Amino acid sequence: MQRKHIFILFIILAIAQIAVPAQMIFNREAILKSGTAFKFKTEPVDPSDPFKGKYISLNYELDNFKTKDTIWMRNQEVYISITNDSLGFAKVISASLENPKKGDFLKAKVNSYSEYDSILRFSLSFNEFYMEETKAYSAELAYREAQRDSLPDNTFALVYIKNGDAVLDNVFINEIPIATFIEK
Amino acid sequence: MNSKLIKDLPDLVTNDVISQDVASKIEQYYLAKQQQAPNRLFAVFGVLGSLLVGLGIILILAHNWDNFPRGAKTILAFLPLVIGQCIVAFSILKKKSVAWKEASGTFLFFTIGSSIALVSQIYNIPGNLSTYILTWIILSLPLIYLLKSNTVAILNMICITYYACELGYSFMSIGHTPWLYLVMMALIVPHYYKLLKHHKEANITSIFNWLIPISLTIVLGAFVDQLTELGFLMYLLLFSLFYNVGKTPFFDEQKLRRNGYLIFGSLGIVIMVLTMSFDDFWYMERFFFNSQETYVSTILFAANLGLLIYSYSKGWLKTFNFFQFVFILFSVMYLFGLNIPIVGTIVVNFIVLALGVTTIKIGIDKFHFGVLNYGLLIITALVTCRFFDTNMSFVIRGLLFVCVGLGFFLTNYVMLKKQKSRVESLKH
Repeated sequence: MQRKHIFILFIILAIAQIAVPAQMIFNREAILKSGTAFKFKTEPVDPSDPFKGKYISLNYELDNFKTKDTIWMRNQEVYISITNDSLGFAKVISASLENPKKGDFLKAKVNSYSEYDSILRFSLSFNEFYMEETKAYSAELAYREAQRDSLPDNTFALVYIKNGDAVLDNVFINEIPIATFIEK
Repeated sequence: MNSKLIKDLPDLVTNDVISQDVASKIEQYYLAKQQQAPNRLFAVFGVLGSLLVGLGIILILAHNWDNFPRGAKTILAFLPLVIGQCIVAFSILKKKSVAWKEASGTFLFFTIGSSIALVSQIYNIPGNLSTYILTWIILSLPLIYLLKSNTVAILNMICITYYACELGYSFMSIGHTPWLYLVMMALIVPHYYKLLKHHKEANITSIFNWLIPISLTIVLGAFVDQLTELGFLMYLLLFSLFYNVGKTPFFDEQKLRRNGYLIFGSLGIVIMVLTMSFDDFWYMERFFFNSQETYVSTILFAANLGLLIYSYSKGWLKTFNFFQFVFILFSVMYLFGLNIPIVGTIVVNFIVLALGVTTIKIGIDKFHFGVLNYGLLIITALVTCRFFDTNMSFVIRGLLFVCVGLGFFLTNYVMLKKQKSRVESLKH
C-alpha cells in the first residue's frame, strides 16, 4: 500500500476515533438541553472502576412497581412511565414491554417478578455518579450523616429524560450538590 | 554472548584455533550487527515510554477533576487523543522508523481508551465494561495494519481476551458467549500470518506463538454454557490441537522455547488427562447432544482430525506419537464410556502411562534431558495421584515409588553415557 493511501485510511480512522466520543457527548447534551428533569430519591455507596475512576453507586428508592402482569423475564428491557408526585419526586405510573411513545418514560432492566405479592423489581441504568477520587467515600459518609441529622428523603438524583434515554446530571443532599456538600 | 565470543577471539588466535584473518572477520561481523542494535533498543524504550505515559494519562484523568467545568473536561478528554493522532499522522507522512510507529501507535491506543472513559465519566454514563472495551478495540484495531505495529496487535489481543472474560465469566452475564472474540481474533490473524511468513525467527513472532494459545486457553471456558461436563473434553481437544499445530514442521523445526503451541499443548493434555484419571470424574449426571458445547467440541475435533490427515498426506507423521492421537480416544470414551467408571479410570490411567513413556522416548531420541525428565515427571504425577485415591497396600505404593525413582536415575544415567560416547566418537 502506498503511503498516501495509508494516510487517507488513517485520517478516516482518526475521524472515527473522534466521532465516537463526540457522538456520546452530543447525545447526552441533547438530553440535558431538551429533556425533562426528574428527581429520584436515592442512596449512595462507594465502589470503583479501573478506567473511569471513582464513582458512587446509587440505589434508587424507585425500583419496583405493583402490577398484575406476569410477562416479565429477567434482564428484559422494560419501559417505565413516570410522573412527579406531590413532593416533586418521580413515581411510576405504568410498566410495559413496548415503547409507550407518549409522556415521560425511561428504559430499565427487569430484576425479578414476585407472583406472591405481584411486585415487579427493576434496576435503572443511571446508577453511577462519578466523583473526584478523594470525594467518593466522603460522599457516602456525608449521606449517612445527613440521614441522621435532617429530614428524611433529603438525598436525590437530578436526572434528565428524553425518549426513554436518561442522563444523570447531579446528586443533591439537602438541595446542595453532593460535591459542594462534602466540602462544607 | 556475542561480547563473550569477541573477548575469546585473541585467546582462540593465540591457541591456533582460528587465524587472525578469521578473527577480524568475526569481529567486523558483530560490529556491523551492533550498529543496527540501537534502533531496536530505541523501539523497545519508545514503546515502554508511551505505554507508561498512556497508562499515566488514563490514571490522571480518572482522578475526575471536579473543579473543572464540563466544557474544560471535555476538551481534556480530546486533547491526548488529538495529540496521539498528530504523532501517528506525522510518523506515517514522514515515513518514520519502526520505533516511531510502534511508540506512537501505542500512545494513540491508550488515548483512545482514555477519551471514551473520560466522556463516560463526565456524563455519568453507566459502565458496561465489556461494551467499553469493545468500542476501544474496534477503534484501535485498524492501527495494527496502518502502522504494521506489533505492540498495538499485542495490546489489542490482551483487550480482546479481557473483553471475552468480562462477557463470558462475570457473574452478571450468565449465559453470554463471547462469539465476537472469535471475529476479532480473526481480524488479527492476517498480521500474525505476515509475521510467520516474513519474520519466522524474530523474537516478536515467538511472543505471538505464546500469546495466542494462552488467550485461547483462557477464553475457551467462556464458551461453556450449560453442559460443564463437556468442558473437559473441549479443553482436551483444544490442547491436542495446539500440540498438533506445534508438531507441524514449520513450528517443530524451531527452538522449543519459541514453540508455545507444543509446550502449551503437551502440558495441557497431561494436566487434563491427570484430572480425568480420578475415580469420581467418570460419573456424569446428564448428557445431551443438542448443546453449544457439543458443537464447539465437534468443531475442535474436526479441526484436529483435519490437521492430522493433512499432516499424514504431507508425510509429516514419520514416527507414531501418542500425543497426536490421544484426542480420538478421549472423544470415543466421552461418547460411550460415561457412567462406566471402571472403563474411564482404568483406561485413562493407562493413557497417562503411555503418554509418559512416549515423552521419555521422544527425549531419548532427541537426546533432550528436559523432555526425558518431563516424561518421568508425568509418570511420577500419575503415581502421586494414585497414592491418594486407591486402596493399594502401602508396600505396593512404596515399591511403585522406588521403581519410578530408580527410573529417574537409570534413564538419565544411560543418556549421559550415550552422550559421552557420542562426544568421544565425534572427537575421533
